[in-house]
Amino acid sequence: MTDGFQMVGIRPVPPSESGRSAPWYRGKPVAAAVVLAVIVLGCLCSEILMTKDPTYLDLTNCNVAPNREFLFGTDAMGRDLFSMIWYGGRVSLLIGILATAISTALAIVFGAASGMAPVWLDTLLMRGTEILLSIPGLLLVLLLQAVLGPANVWSLSLVIGLTSWTAMAKVVRTEVRQLRGSDYVVAARCMGGGFFYLLRKHLTPNFFSSILFMVVMNIRSAMVAESTLSFLGMGLPLEVVSWGSMLSLAEKALMTRAWWVIVIPGAFLIATLLSITSLGNCLRKQANRKARNL
Amino acid sequence: MKRSILRSIGIKVLVFVVSLLILSVAVFCIARLAPGDPLVSYYGDRVEKMSPQERAWAEDKLGLNDPLAVQYVRWLERAVQGDFGISYKYKMPVTEVITQRMGNTLLLGGVGLLLIFGGALLLGIFCAWQEDRWPDRLLCRAGTVLSCIPEFWLSLVLILVFAMGLRWLPSSGAYSIGGEGNVGDRLVHLILPLTVVVLSHLWYYAYLVRNRLLEEVRADYVLLARVKGLPRRAVLFRHCLRSAMPAYLSILAISIPHVLGGTYIVETVFSYPGLGTLSYESARYQDYNLLMVLCLLSGAVVMLCNLAAQAINERIDPRIRGERDGMEQEVRTP
Amino acid sequence: MAEEILLDVRHLTQVFPLGRHGSVKAVDDLSFQIRRGEIFGLVGESGSGKSTVARCVMSLYRPTAGEILFKGVNLCDRAACRAHRTMLQRERQLIFQDSTSSLNQRLKVWDIIAEPMRIHGIRPPRGTYRAEAEFQMHYVGLDAGYLDKYPSELSGGQRQRVAIARALSMEPELLVADEPIASLDVSIQAQIVNLFRHLQREHGFSILFIAHDLAMVEFLCDRVGVLYHGRMVESAPTSALFQRPLHPYTQALLSAIPIPDPRLERSRTLQTFSPDLVSLDGVLVEEEPDHFVLREGGRP
Repeated sequence: MTDGFQMVGIRPVPPSESGRSAPWYRGKPVAAAVVLAVIVLGCLCSEILMTKDPTYLDLTNCNVAPNREFLFGTDAMGRDLFSMIWYGGRVSLLIGILATAISTALAIVFGAASGMAPVWLDTLLMRGTEILLSIPGLLLVLLLQAVLGPANVWSLSLVIGLTSWTAMAKVVRTEVRQLRGSDYVVAARCMGGGFFYLLRKHLTPNFFSSILFMVVMNIRSAMVAESTLSFLGMGLPLEVVSWGSMLSLAEKALMTRAWWVIVIPGAFLIATLLSITSLGNCLRKQANRKARNL
Repeated sequence: MKRSILRSIGIKVLVFVVSLLILSVAVFCIARLAPGDPLVSYYGDRVEKMSPQERAWAEDKLGLNDPLAVQYVRWLERAVQGDFGISYKYKMPVTEVITQRMGNTLLLGGVGLLLIFGGALLLGIFCAWQEDRWPDRLLCRAGTVLSCIPEFWLSLVLILVFAMGLRWLPSSGAYSIGGEGNVGDRLVHLILPLTVVVLSHLWYYAYLVRNRLLEEVRADYVLLARVKGLPRRAVLFRHCLRSAMPAYLSILAISIPHVLGGTYIVETVFSYPGLGTLSYESARYQDYNLLMVLCLLSGAVVMLCNLAAQAINERIDPRIRGERDGMEQEVRTP
Repeated sequence: MAEEILLDVRHLTQVFPLGRHGSVKAVDDLSFQIRRGEIFGLVGESGSGKSTVARCVMSLYRPTAGEILFKGVNLCDRAACRAHRTMLQRERQLIFQDSTSSLNQRLKVWDIIAEPMRIHGIRPPRGTYRAEAEFQMHYVGLDAGYLDKYPSELSGGQRQRVAIARALSMEPELLVADEPIASLDVSIQAQIVNLFRHLQREHGFSILFIAHDLAMVEFLCDRVGVLYHGRMVESAPTSALFQRPLHPYTQALLSAIPIPDPRLERSRTLQTFSPDLVSLDGVLVEEEPDHFVLREGGRP
């Protein structure tokens, strides 16, 4: 190097040390995590847990109350509830995750596009979502479902995903509005980074923590939507076992007072939702704490 | 000054009307894209026995043969004159069908809203007062659990317990047969649906009030008021509540459609003859005219509520004129 | 001087609308040229439109009037810009004032330095992006141990070096440095200015150096332009400007430079400048060779 130039700033980087003091479980929803893990694992390994074939219609044993053989009883079509719970849980969880993935992707792309767009386009897009939002959710799902034809796991996830992204998109938009003026985004734009490059590399990593809570809650609301729709007869048909479609037999069960058909799948559904909620709340607290320290 | 106010009101009205128009186009298109035979809802099972000529004649009579655009323009022309067509299923003017049912939904939704917002306020204040003591913790826990229960399942369990098991309350309908004028009978039918509507929303808003109050309690002016010698209760009610109120009101305005939307599911489970069951039916059975009006009606309610919230927000904080995000985000994620 | 002109700013005017009524003229009829291999300093108080000029040169703002020619390409012409997009994105690089916000906190240092190469899909000449980043870091005087650090773990000076390394990785012809040293400590400022000087000698690119610190400008720049309320009031080779400032505003500005000798510092007089005395309506007049001053009505 030349004389007029001095090398400053070179010095060995000290190895970073990580110190842990508080017990790892402090303030973390351990119970919720355990419950969720048990349910998810149980659903994934349903083959091992199942005592009967969940789709077999055992017509000699309809509406049997819980007993030794049928741990959770049977439904009006003679299917074993215990096996159905684990087997159907997969579908419910899958729809929850799929629908959330769809709506999150939509929300991120749409929200970021709106946030980066010039004011007039942004206003237009936001107006559009507002109009879309003003159709009652249930009706919108119903109409879309009708357009898409008979429901299966994929179409139902799509419909739920398509109808539940607007709230998240608004948050993304607000965040992107703040981020887009920051120098590193300007720098990347100067270098010629396109919209999707910016989104992937600069925007999403920086706003994701603020929508993480909403993403988790979206899994919850997607599962609620699945069960509600299936219950109303607009979701999965009876043959596709899920917690929602199990509950669609509830009205018949009301007549026969088969409480187990209503209470047991519902209890599993609620336990799952509750665990997801506490995990989400924990995430939110963490995100807030970080934001404050920065 | 006055002119600019008039101008902004004019713009808002214009945006409102244009939004409704766009909404009507959207619903019109989606509804007709959906497969299904609107003749079934008009003629019932007779459709299957119809000859092709009869069918064509029937479709022509209902104006279903024209291109979509023509159908829409015709609908719009009549709608502007206040004629929204007839309901295929009920064979009466749509407006009549809706006015018959509207009262029931307004009763359920209105009473529900009042109870939710009053109850949430009281609960929220109570929890803020008891912050981190056992009643607060207990209520928050209970609230978290309640908020996770899907509305339809809560309805089912309540029916199972109170209608089927204990036989205290009726399980469906808005009144017993023949008891239409009977106020007591009405109320008895209202109890279960109302419980579900209130329980499934109450906690969320109570929690909102609680958190906002807790934020207020940590503000510096509270310290000042305490130093002045005001008792805790007076500070909480006279100062904190007053400054938390406008924000709560604006959230209230936005969440009206949210709560009303929730009644749709409850109405369906309880077979309660309101707008919810009506829109469910109309969408399932391709009752286009009815569907359009129902969608526009709920759309109008949503937009009006948003406008009201916006107005309240602008009153609180003139800086946010034109921008309005903060409040809405909070509400849509229960 | 028959050097090639790299950047030619002609009658640049930028007006920002302020809400419904009123607007602010940030830059008003500004003209200057930067030759190849030259460091041109732009000085002025805050709010005089320096950053606006930088942003116009980087095509971040569309000028209200006037034109900017970069290597003969008119930056105000959309079609021309689109045709030369890749060239423009590579050959002009921007360095920001605040290195904290100009580097994405979530990316590692080597990722940041390799970013422009990645965007343009350039195959790294030294094998991997990482190796390339390491090379660039060495160039700006950073240890390779910082490759996997996050910007928040570095000091301000180190961050600014990273930003410079990022800009240099494209081997630009023009570096626009928008107050690159304003947010640094004085000792670090000197290092960074030294670095600029060193790199410029090695690479031979041009720099549009925007600053309000006159001492640094005197040390670094070949020519200096003084900006006042969006107008160029004086522009001259550095030595000429600092020895014989002709415009009253420049004189006032120069008299405010502290002298690093307490006796002299005590004896110097601060010239005051009253804005009423100077009219901004006028034209630049060449009083000496290459020394332009704003004179009222074109009179010398």
